[in-house]
Amino acid sequence: MIRIEKRTQFPKHHHLIAALIAFVIAFSSGCIIFLCLGVNPLTAYLAMFKGVFGSFHSFSEVLVKATPLTFTGLAVAVAAMMMLWNIGAEGQLVWGGIFAAGTALYLLPSAPVSILIPMIIAASACGGMMWALIPGILKARFNVNEILTTLLLNYVAIIYMEHLFYGPLRDPAGFGFPGTAQIPEAAHLVRFVGTRIHLGFPLALICALLLFFLLNKSTWGYQIRVIGSEVRAARYAGFNVTRQTLTVMALSGALAGMAGMAEVCGIHYRLQTGLAVGYGYDGIIVAWLAQLNPLAVPFTAVLLGALFVGGEQLQTVLGLPSTISLILEAALLFGLFGGQAMIKYKIVFSGSTKQNQPAPHNTGKIS
Amino acid sequence: MIEPVVSLRGISKHFGSVIANHEIDFDIYGGRVHALLGENGAGKSTLMSILAGRYKPDNGSIAINGNTVSFPSPASALEHGIGMVYQRFMLIESMSVAENLLLSAHEKIGQGRTNQRIRDTAEQYGLDVDPCKHIFELSMGERQRVEIIKLLLLDAQILIFDEPTAVLTPPEIDAFFSVIDKLRNDNKGIVFITHKLEEVLKLADDISVMRKGRLIISTKADKKQISKRQLARLMVGRDVVLQVDKEPVETGDTVLSLDSLCGKSSVGGTSFKDISFEVKRGEIFSIVGVAGNGQSALVAAITGLNKARSGQLSFLDNAYTPREWVNASKDHIAYVPEDRYHTGCVGTMSICDNSALTRLSSYSTGFGGMLLDRQRMFDDCAAAIKTFNIKAESPDDTAQTLSGGNLQKVILARELSREPKLFIAEQPTQGLDISATEEIWQALLDCRKNAAVLLVTGDLKEVLSLSDRIGVIFNGQILEIIDARDADAVGRVGLLMAGVIP
Repeated sequence: MIRIEKRTQFPKHHHLIAALIAFVIAFSSGCIIFLCLGVNPLTAYLAMFKGVFGSFHSFSEVLVKATPLTFTGLAVAVAAMMMLWNIGAEGQLVWGGIFAAGTALYLLPSAPVSILIPMIIAASACGGMMWALIPGILKARFNVNEILTTLLLNYVAIIYMEHLFYGPLRDPAGFGFPGTAQIPEAAHLVRFVGTRIHLGFPLALICALLLFFLLNKSTWGYQIRVIGSEVRAARYAGFNVTRQTLTVMALSGALAGMAGMAEVCGIHYRLQTGLAVGYGYDGIIVAWLAQLNPLAVPFTAVLLGALFVGGEQLQTVLGLPSTISLILEAALLFGLFGGQAMIKYKIVFSGSTKQNQPAPHNTGKIS
Repeated sequence: MIEPVVSLRGISKHFGSVIANHEIDFDIYGGRVHALLGENGAGKSTLMSILAGRYKPDNGSIAINGNTVSFPSPASALEHGIGMVYQRFMLIESMSVAENLLLSAHEKIGQGRTNQRIRDTAEQYGLDVDPCKHIFELSMGERQRVEIIKLLLLDAQILIFDEPTAVLTPPEIDAFFSVIDKLRNDNKGIVFITHKLEEVLKLADDISVMRKGRLIISTKADKKQISKRQLARLMVGRDVVLQVDKEPVETGDTVLSLDSLCGKSSVGGTSFKDISFEVKRGEIFSIVGVAGNGQSALVAAITGLNKARSGQLSFLDNAYTPREWVNASKDHIAYVPEDRYHTGCVGTMSICDNSALTRLSSYSTGFGGMLLDRQRMFDDCAAAIKTFNIKAESPDDTAQTLSGGNLQKVILARELSREPKLFIAEQPTQGLDISATEEIWQALLDCRKNAAVLLVTGDLKEVLSLSDRIGVIFNGQILEIIDARDADAVGRVGLLMAGVIP
């Protein structure tokens, strides 16, 4: 008989092994797709590779994409540390963007950079926090499943944002294009050495460091880890599970909100379509690829960013759909979960040496 | 001589190093009720789960009508006519009775006449259930009837009940007994697992008693031959050997006193009522009882994890109502919980982290106490590993790599380091080997020099080795408080635990 059993001892570096398995699975499924499309996988991967590492400019675009991904990845990771599934980073990102644009356009339009930028960052964090606290409160108070509430609130946030820039906040001088007016120059995040890499990227790295520090060195982080791993032990130790559910959701929302700020003030300079392009959902993959380790999140964000930039390259160079990168992304996640399962469980072949062979049907039947 | 329908021979089952069953022979006859008695952890449920195909025995054989069989799954046991009603019912709450029954017995019921088949079977045995109702609408008694109907529809000839009366109200218990009578008259073989003696004497035709994985006795239930008193003695066992040096300690101030405390368990177990006792510094006060008699709910109320319903608690000369007590500071109370794997520690975190679980505030430092003093945590943990002789490679190893005894010592070390005024230990040595048990006993005895110790246990040996005073709890009430120096009275503890008032 073949059984699947839980391992008690994990192999060394099991996180790395799982990631490796994920890559192998993702790249081999990519090969199959390229072959189906009639393209030599080697040519395709080479095109992607060139697209990413071919020039300084192309690699800088990877870091541009990695910026919001790091924020949303951290947002998902911190919630997942406590076994909360924040699928709503997308909506929180949108609200961060709305608050950032709102602050820059209407609240402090003529403030100097030194005041405006910190205020915008704080406002975007508040926006995301506000949106994340709705499911947070519902979860803490009424135990409403946060997977559903966070997910569904994404649509609400996106539609509301669209209402804003199609309606009341539409730029009167915008020739009818949907979108708000451009935010004042003081609200633009500094860009580095002629690329589109902006202040958001170092900010995201600082957030990753801070989060790592908080989770591992603070009493708060300790409580989060206990609650996430063994809620009965947390109650026994007297931790306030309800309160920490709220703080974690608030922090998660704030991080996602800052992703919206980075996009609005670093890239688009206005609220417009193209803000909600799925960075919130991609954050889930970034977080789990990083095994919820905040220090690994920037790296997995860069990896995913590279996948996207490489995918665009497939389109321009080989005329393939850029959505192939989404397939690779999905394969990566499936591969990761598969790899984790392979590490958590082992297959046991148990012989029936001590047992009697099963009796033929019915011989022992009571009648 | 009637031949048994089912006979188990030499059944052994180990879980890791724990011997759940050791070479057990067990017979079931048609038309007879076989009661299987024993304390929690005696191995009753394991034995019956083996018979029902849920576990595979390490050794031994099962024969039906003399033919050896083996069950790879519960379904195959059912095919052979053996079914079990587990303590936790295996029903889908959001589905109706009929749907639940169809799910497991659709081949036997056939199409179209489900409700009629169910009603016929139900009527035959007096199992009154409405097939259209949903499971979540039903009482525990009704759910049990659904489980029984399920087995009957599958033509089960042997029905095994795991503590069937534990979840029932008294009228439901009476109804259940009459169902058992009908099943017996219909020549079904019945096994029921219990630790309630009255039920055994009322129902059983055969009685077997298990203790610590071994079958102590298997006999016919001749009411003149066997008494409640004898059964209690067999079940609890009386082999008391003192292995620890118990120096006398002078008692000091009263630390904890309860005044007619009543309460309920949060998960629907046995509640407790009118509990009054006090614990002084310098003594070990034991609450002893067979598991499931309200002690868990009582401990939850004392530790403040659950709110008692009425009564009063006094701690260090301050009186509290149950509501005040839940919110009161429990800094001076240390608590070793019964579930050491999921409550007392976090298995995936390091030993060092686990050593700080209940002492977080004492390791906070910097930024208004927001940071953890990891260095001090590590040093303290390394010191505790040495003092308590804990077999661990390093404080950074995860707690789940430790054996039960070493893990318990980690928890004990942590709780002792809180310098408590009251020390509560719940089943502290359950499942531990002798050397770990002795070390923990010695630590508890030392602890009472500076604190009041409240020991909650079902292990008679532990009680008699450690206690200064003993409160026997049965069915949510303390039957008697006994001074451990009174040898005559101590002899009654085993009987009282089984609810027999001598």
